[in-house]
Amino acid sequence: MDSHRIILHIDMNAFFASVEQQSNPELRGKAIAVIGAAKRTVITTCSYEARAFGVKTGMNSWEARQKCPELIFVVGNNRKYTYTSTQIIAIMREYTPLVEVFSIDEAFLDVTGCLSLFGSAERIAQLIKARIREQFGLTCSVGIAPNKLLAKLASDMQKPDGLTIIAPQEISRILERVPIQDLCGIGHKTGEHLSRFGIRTCGELGRFPVDILKRNFGVTGERLHYMALGIDDSPVVPDEEAEEVKSVGHSTTLEKDLTERREILIYLLQLSEMVGRRARKYRVAGRTVTLTVRYQDFTTFSRQQSRGSFTNNSEEIYQAAVKLLDSVELTQAIRLLGVKISNLRQHTEQLPLFPAERKKALLTSAMDDVNNKFGDFAVTFGSLLGKDAGSKVISPAWRPEGLRNVDVE
Amino acid sequence: MQRFAERIKVAALFAPGCQVRPVWFEWRRQKHAVTEVSYFWKDCHGDATRLHFAVSDGSNLFELMFNASDQNWTLEGVEDN
Repeated sequence: MDSHRIILHIDMNAFFASVEQQSNPELRGKAIAVIGAAKRTVITTCSYEARAFGVKTGMNSWEARQKCPELIFVVGNNRKYTYTSTQIIAIMREYTPLVEVFSIDEAFLDVTGCLSLFGSAERIAQLIKARIREQFGLTCSVGIAPNKLLAKLASDMQKPDGLTIIAPQEISRILERVPIQDLCGIGHKTGEHLSRFGIRTCGELGRFPVDILKRNFGVTGERLHYMALGIDDSPVVPDEEAEEVKSVGHSTTLEKDLTERREILIYLLQLSEMVGRRARKYRVAGRTVTLTVRYQDFTTFSRQQSRGSFTNNSEEIYQAAVKLLDSVELTQAIRLLGVKISNLRQHTEQLPLFPAERKKALLTSAMDDVNNKFGDFAVTFGSLLGKDAGSKVISPAWRPEGLRNVDVE
Repeated sequence: MQRFAERIKVAALFAPGCQVRPVWFEWRRQKHAVTEVSYFWKDCHGDATRLHFAVSDGSNLFELMFNASDQNWTLEGVEDN
């Protein structure tokens, strides 16, 4: 491990809710919850004032209202958030080119090489915090540590508007009493499993025999041991160096649970067109089509099928998705649908030889031209006319540019 | 916020550095002086860049949108505070 690295983890505080509070001064200092545009979506995030009442992300609106009767619901505006996030990431990139966007409201920065320019990591953190506050009125919590694992842990220690430093010589003292589930990467299941060995803190995990961990957790066992000691040599990977995107997909929670095939197909066509559009925009085509279905009781499953040829044609993606749907005997109403293409390769435009195929390619290209000029779904399939289409949710994989830059509604 | 999509007349300052600031606007025959621009964001619709402003006239919050492609201003929404 390179013990000289200095990593910052920047976490925007209650990001969507804070943006809404800045947009509407009347909401500042009040308990608010951001919900999706769809009528029934759960709480996306809530302000610190709401959290004080026990309102949490993922809670149903009625449940949240019981916790906090004064709670104000605000319908989120995803484009406002993606714009703000993109601008904030641009600020970070003024201090170091090594910025890894972790999600729309979190990023890691490796500032090891730029300390001589700005003085210290703490000063860089303060400058970035000040710029974000001045430009957007938003606060963030920053963690500074020798690696990503500890930087993330540090940023979580003081919220909102924190700045926490974990110096190399303090690692073991700090980790001694930290609950294992506070470490990024140790989820509920692993935490439960470890607790059966009487392990609750990082100190206990660090002292636990590695061979027993390996026997019970496989390769992860050794990683858990190192995590407990605060050792993490994973690099900060900027987007341009990140692994190639392996799939292009969209999913949507339906406005109401559906059982009617005809209605389900409309959503499948919408999703297929969104997948096809994005794949064509970034010139990739996929050979495998995956359909994801979530029932009303949240049971989720996927079915996939590989085609004989690569495609980014919306209609072909749709046909494959319909085939997958028809291969399943639906036992409940559907709550969520997803369509994805994977097994990607770069797609170079080549007009097909046969007239019917050529016509289809030219039609797709003409539709894309119109939609590029006038916006998505300006020209679309007849069965989608008048339907509210587009991505309503910002995926955790969202990035400010490239194939993962999903245009949201 | 109550959503609208009404073309409106807006007086705006275009300052150096691509800074645009609405000063007043007319909506349904009433003139509203902008007392605060509380938030700004941009997006694209097709090839049109659109500038969005959350503004207050001292009593209500409005969302105004300037389409840089066709140079039109639209009132997008009103929040009665």
